[in-house]
Amino acid sequence: MKKSKLLLSIIPFFVAPALIGCQNANVKVIGICQLVTHPALDAATNGFMQAVKEGMGEKNVRFDLQDAAGEPGNCIIIANSFVSKNVDLIMANATPALQAVANSTTTIPVLGTSITEYGVALSIPNFNGVVGGNISGTSDLAPLDGQAEMIKELFPEAQKVGLLFCSAEANSLYQVNTVEALLQDEGIVTKRIAFADSNELQSVLVANVNDLDVLYIPTDNTAANNTSIIDAVCRPIGLPIVAGEENIAKACGVASLSIDYFRLGIKTGQMAVEVLKEGKDIATMPIAYDENPVKKFNKEICDELGIVIPSNYVEIE
Amino acid sequence: MLNDMLTYLLSLRGAIALGTIWGIMALGVFITYRILDIPDLTVDGSFATGGAVCAMVIISGGNFWVGILLGIIAGFICGLITGLLHTLLDIPPILAGILTQLSLWSINLKIMENSSNQPISARTFPLIFSQLKIPDALWKISLIALILVFGFYVFFGTELGASIRATGNNPRMAKAQGINTKFNIVIALMISNGLVALSGALLAQYQGFADISMGRGAIVIGLCAVVIGMALVKKITPNFLVRMLSVIIGSVIYHLVFQTVVFLGLDTTYLKMLSAIVVALFLGVPYVNKKYLAPYFKHKKKKLVVEEVKND
Repeated sequence: MKKSKLLLSIIPFFVAPALIGCQNANVKVIGICQLVTHPALDAATNGFMQAVKEGMGEKNVRFDLQDAAGEPGNCIIIANSFVSKNVDLIMANATPALQAVANSTTTIPVLGTSITEYGVALSIPNFNGVVGGNISGTSDLAPLDGQAEMIKELFPEAQKVGLLFCSAEANSLYQVNTVEALLQDEGIVTKRIAFADSNELQSVLVANVNDLDVLYIPTDNTAANNTSIIDAVCRPIGLPIVAGEENIAKACGVASLSIDYFRLGIKTGQMAVEVLKEGKDIATMPIAYDENPVKKFNKEICDELGIVIPSNYVEIE
Repeated sequence: MLNDMLTYLLSLRGAIALGTIWGIMALGVFITYRILDIPDLTVDGSFATGGAVCAMVIISGGNFWVGILLGIIAGFICGLITGLLHTLLDIPPILAGILTQLSLWSINLKIMENSSNQPISARTFPLIFSQLKIPDALWKISLIALILVFGFYVFFGTELGASIRATGNNPRMAKAQGINTKFNIVIALMISNGLVALSGALLAQYQGFADISMGRGAIVIGLCAVVIGMALVKKITPNFLVRMLSVIIGSVIYHLVFQTVVFLGLDTTYLKMLSAIVVALFLGVPYVNKKYLAPYFKHKKKKLVVEEVKND
């Protein structure tokens, strides 16, 4: 290709943006950087947009929604774009998105969502619940104490509980550690069942589940992707599973106590309205949580295993 | 209108900084793919290794220069492993690279203490640069890139450098001249992966975190940059210094396009496909020109084009 041709072919890239980005000064622009298309993250983004539209009025706000296509490296490019446009607020959905945005601006207000621990995600020593600066948001930390209580509530006679998790997932290990301590406080014997990958899962399970009364699975992505294997091993021997995430319970579990990402998104959206409309100082806003996790049960498996579920549980659709 | 244009130009500064960071990675790909004539797939792993090592050093309180240095050394080791797999065990280079890349996934996870993501926020740690201060990042990374390009220009003129180039050009002839080609392949792979890891270490600081999947698809970006860069200077000059510079410029162009796509709010899901198409086009168009179009349109020019392709 000739040099002149190449130069010519680049020119549209410089001209086109100028033609497109006509904006109204009264309309607030919110940049949304989402790490990847994923049911949970999508739900949070949708909840966020709904709450902001309700709070601000649909005409007064414009969303610039960008998906990093699962690549953390793309987040920094998206963040750069938002900062150059000097948007009014940035919503960062998932940890790398927040990290990239936090490393790109100290002035534009930033709200995170679907982030488990802000202290860990932003390397803040002695994190006390308020990030400060231009950052706040919502956390998707699972209600682990509630999950441990759920095991006690559904299976009061359980003596030995297995904790299944993938050893490559730091997040799962954290959950297992916490739940294990809570169960041991109640005098229940626990047994960790760690597997390295999906190829190992079946043999590890078969070798470990026979003496268990209940199996607990945290929010573990590898387990979530291999629920059919878990189901094939556990259901025939009548081993009930309590899960930290609804999708696992839906495929192979008895019940779950998990947060709702849509509600989490709505909460984040309400925070955005507080910042943009009411002029609240984002530096003083503490990280918010989903305070009303819903107890859900899987009717098919409960019927099959003959487990009676209290009336305050909602059936998984 | 003018305002939007300025905003757009403002966003390009970040793209240039980011493109130059990735350009250092592309320089590593250039060394294996163009000079050594080996497609090395280790880079997808060693890129993240560089970032991971650097992040862990910084988190544990070390200076960022130490982090960068240790990251580069980790990259050397990655290249060494691929090189030994290829030369000692006679595993084809592509496969050797894939094997190293595969094992690096686990190793990187262990480096990052079993966590898939380690933050090094510029708010907490002193870093070489970050996207918070783009002008600062811009001159630092440009300086690093220029030093590297000039350094490698000198290096490839030395006896060792020249023999590496000879190994890539014609291994049999090189062997006949008494050059230890296996040694040269290992050395070149080490240098290449050292550069890739350096780029990973710099990116981790620029974006504020190291992530297990930050190197995913790095080889495609590297190839993109090399191919675009080569297309740029092909007709201008065969000068080696210019060619290395053009690789970095190729990476910058790639990121300018990328930034434009994001700026316009186009669907970013297509970005990967876009990069693949760009590489395929730049690689395929010269051949199509030569083979199918040139004979019909410019009969006389045909020979010229063939020669150029050979020279390249």
